[in-house]
Amino acid sequence: MNTIAPTAVPRWKTALNMIINPGEVVKNQMTKVPWPYSLMISGLSFTLFFLQTGLDLLRSGQTGVPIVILMAMLGLLYGTVGIALLAVLVWALSQAADRGLTMEWAISSFALGYSATFVYALTGLIFSLTLGWKTAVAFGVTGVLWALRPNLFTIRQMSGERTAFSIAMTTLCGAILLFGWALLGKFGA
Amino acid sequence: MEMNLGYADGAGPGEVKFWPVYLCFIIFGIMISFSKPEFKVTTLLLSLFLALIIGLLTVNLLIMSFNAGNAALRKNSGSFAREAVGTGMLFMIPFTVLAVLAKFGLGWDAVMPFASAAIMTAAATAGTEVMKKGAQGIKNVLIPSVLAFVLSTGWMMLTGIMP
Repeated sequence: MNTIAPTAVPRWKTALNMIINPGEVVKNQMTKVPWPYSLMISGLSFTLFFLQTGLDLLRSGQTGVPIVILMAMLGLLYGTVGIALLAVLVWALSQAADRGLTMEWAISSFALGYSATFVYALTGLIFSLTLGWKTAVAFGVTGVLWALRPNLFTIRQMSGERTAFSIAMTTLCGAILLFGWALLGKFGA
Repeated sequence: MEMNLGYADGAGPGEVKFWPVYLCFIIFGIMISFSKPEFKVTTLLLSLFLALIIGLLTVNLLIMSFNAGNAALRKNSGSFAREAVGTGMLFMIPFTVLAVLAKFGLGWDAVMPFASAAIMTAAATAGTEVMKKGAQGIKNVLIPSVLAFVLSTGWMMLTGIMP
């Protein structure tokens, strides 16, 4: 009798694996990650990203501290509610329910994809605070771009490996996120 | 006796289309020249040439590395690497479209982060395509990622010193 229980992968490792090998994580590990944990990652990522946008505007004298704080809050909303809505939209369009994938799975997988954004946003914030650099585009946008890769694998899984559909949906998601951020940045200014 | 000339079964080499991939590289090449402070025709031509070289290197080095690392799979299907790279590299398209939107819709001058993420993502996706065809080992994702990193960094550096 085999008495050795399979070792559970820590969630932080799953989040890091999502950056290195998203295909494997999306296929085999996402059922073990609860959606609130994933949304916490995406929420934090966008909070830090939007905070840097506010700090960039503050440095150029275009805004004040209250707006910077408000922008960070907007980032939190964008990274939680916004990402969850986007995940549900793609889940519905790809008819993932027919493949046995739940809405919670879609939200969790989509949101955990922003682990890379979190790493970039955190690094950017350190550079912003210590060296006074403008980091929103260099680190924030790059971080969002890196999240497109796990998103792509999630969409492929949801759509049953439909290549053209996955390309179109990934483009749509990326465009919504980048244009949304650019519009909210204008609000801050 | 059937002569497959190295292509055991499935699609032959002519059936894998790489033109969308090279088109993405060409678009990046054009946009890079528009990101310079002053637009010059020589810069455009140099940038286009560089983008095509990087494109050719990426596609062919990926095919070579997959063929070299998966001898058993190559015996069964000689064109597996071309097919995987052809499909995987298509995933440059979202990044190319977003780069165009960012440049001409939002007025950003950040083309290279899009190009770099495009190559890295597409190469890693090609790796997962190879694994779907039966190849074993994380090397099929890591080697393309390292290769893509080296090529995109080289592209970025050469773009920086371009007139």
